[in-house]
Amino acid sequence: MSVTAVTASDVTLAYGNHVAIDRSTFDVPAGCVTTVIGPNAAGKSTILNAIAGLMTPTHGTLEVPAIGGDHKRIAYVLQTTKVNYALPISVSEVVTMGRYSTTGLYRWLSATDRDAVNSAMTRMGIAHVSTSRLQDLSGGQRQRVFVAQGLAQEHDILLLDEPLTGIDLPTAQAIDDVIHNETDRGCTVIMTTHDLSEAQFSDHVLLVSGRVVASGPPDDVLTAENLVEAYGPSLLHLDEDDRLFLDDPAHPHLPGRHAHRERTSHTESSPSDVHRE
Amino acid sequence: MNWLSAEWLTAPFELGFQQRALIGGSLAAIALALVGTWVVIRGMSFLGDALVHGVVPGIALAILLDFNVLVGAMLAAVVMMLGINLVHRQTSFSEDTSIGLLFVGMLGLGVILISRTDAFAGNLTEILFGDALGVTSADIAMLGVLGAVTIVVSVLLYRPFLVLSFNEQKAQLLGLRPRLAHSALLALIAVAIIGSYQTVGTLLVFGLLVGPPATAALLVRRVPLIMGLAVVIGVLSVAVGLMVSYHADTSGSATIAVVPIALFFVVLAGRSLRERFARPLPVASQP
Repeated sequence: MSVTAVTASDVTLAYGNHVAIDRSTFDVPAGCVTTVIGPNAAGKSTILNAIAGLMTPTHGTLEVPAIGGDHKRIAYVLQTTKVNYALPISVSEVVTMGRYSTTGLYRWLSATDRDAVNSAMTRMGIAHVSTSRLQDLSGGQRQRVFVAQGLAQEHDILLLDEPLTGIDLPTAQAIDDVIHNETDRGCTVIMTTHDLSEAQFSDHVLLVSGRVVASGPPDDVLTAENLVEAYGPSLLHLDEDDRLFLDDPAHPHLPGRHAHRERTSHTESSPSDVHRE
Repeated sequence: MNWLSAEWLTAPFELGFQQRALIGGSLAAIALALVGTWVVIRGMSFLGDALVHGVVPGIALAILLDFNVLVGAMLAAVVMMLGINLVHRQTSFSEDTSIGLLFVGMLGLGVILISRTDAFAGNLTEILFGDALGVTSADIAMLGVLGAVTIVVSVLLYRPFLVLSFNEQKAQLLGLRPRLAHSALLALIAVAIIGSYQTVGTLLVFGLLVGPPATAALLVRRVPLIMGLAVVIGVLSVAVGLMVSYHADTSGSATIAVVPIALFFVVLAGRSLRERFARPLPVASQP
């Protein structure tokens, strides 16, 4: 396996005339959890879209050596808000879509395909609602379904666009467990987040604000200087212990938006803790 | 003749032109129900309605210049789709604005062209409302081919259409080529509309395109089931419409188109009543 999952060199990503990410160079290590963090409209999802092959750079290069040129080896869990809930479709049908990258248009589902679908639903704790309609589920259950869809797909890279935003504690815990199980088997996980503490607990961080401000280990990236550059000084404050925290009015209810928690081992602090704040 | 007696049911179909109307209408209903399911699910009803009316100038031009009306209708559909795409790509307007512009423009152009023909009122009425009882054997053969093509394409492209309806980006990520699938769906809708307009007319073809799938979606919960039930409702609508029009002496095409819409509201009312009575009563507070 390549040591580097993604390599970007002087890359610019744009939607028409609107530049979302400007002239940035960064790497994403393979087999680790990388978080992409930054303010709203900073270009977080754009980076995922480019890695997934949904858009091509207008300048520079972005290579994904971990997949050997086959973008179907990337499972991308989109934001739940981007789905057409008017579509009458069951949970198992949604998860089965993940297998279409392998089966193509016509091949019948094999026993392997069905096992992958059932395994993904079991891992995400949604096997008991497999025949339920997607539109009848809660927000948290829907997020589990979308993650299960990604897991059912044969993949080397798992992309998650704000997977922990606006969900319940058990769902956040289930997704967090899956993320770390994926890296245990050598998969690369890249996720966007608004949550500084979530970024602190990842292996690698990309801090973005119209460009990649900094990338590397959390302690090197999430410094006061870098955060002020990304978010502006008005959103960063010092608490009574002289520790930084982010006060983002765009996400007043975001769990764990304060980045001043003591960094502990993963088992001691997880997304489920985050929601208790 | 007794209401719902065997004779009451069979009399409307004793003559050859009535039988051809039933067969032709049923074949049109099958094609329209299949493509109409995606129209309803993907929220493309306005585009479908616009497309139904957008073919009028092509038909009018074919009448004026004396060439095949199906070719004219297909050309008009292509012009309309290109126009919608052009406005959508060149401006910041949402797609419904570009659809609205082309919708009115094409329909207006169609009426202007028809007004230059000798039998203005007759031609316009036939284009808009069709002539179910004027279906010929050649029309049935054409509708048979159309129905077969629609069924085959619907089966072959089921997965791309399904994922495209779920999320376009997901379709692209899975390698299902959503733009090509979308174009194929638009072509299928156009073909179904154009092939069916002679039976129920451009104005009323929309009733069979949207009515049966919308009604079916109220009753069943999966796309293949909606398609199957929509086909049954569409074919029944044609049969019931022809029966009612025969006994009530009303326009066959218009009656066919009204039946699925009426059925939709009957089913909606039934479902609302069922939900109302199924809801648990509030528990009275203890004194």
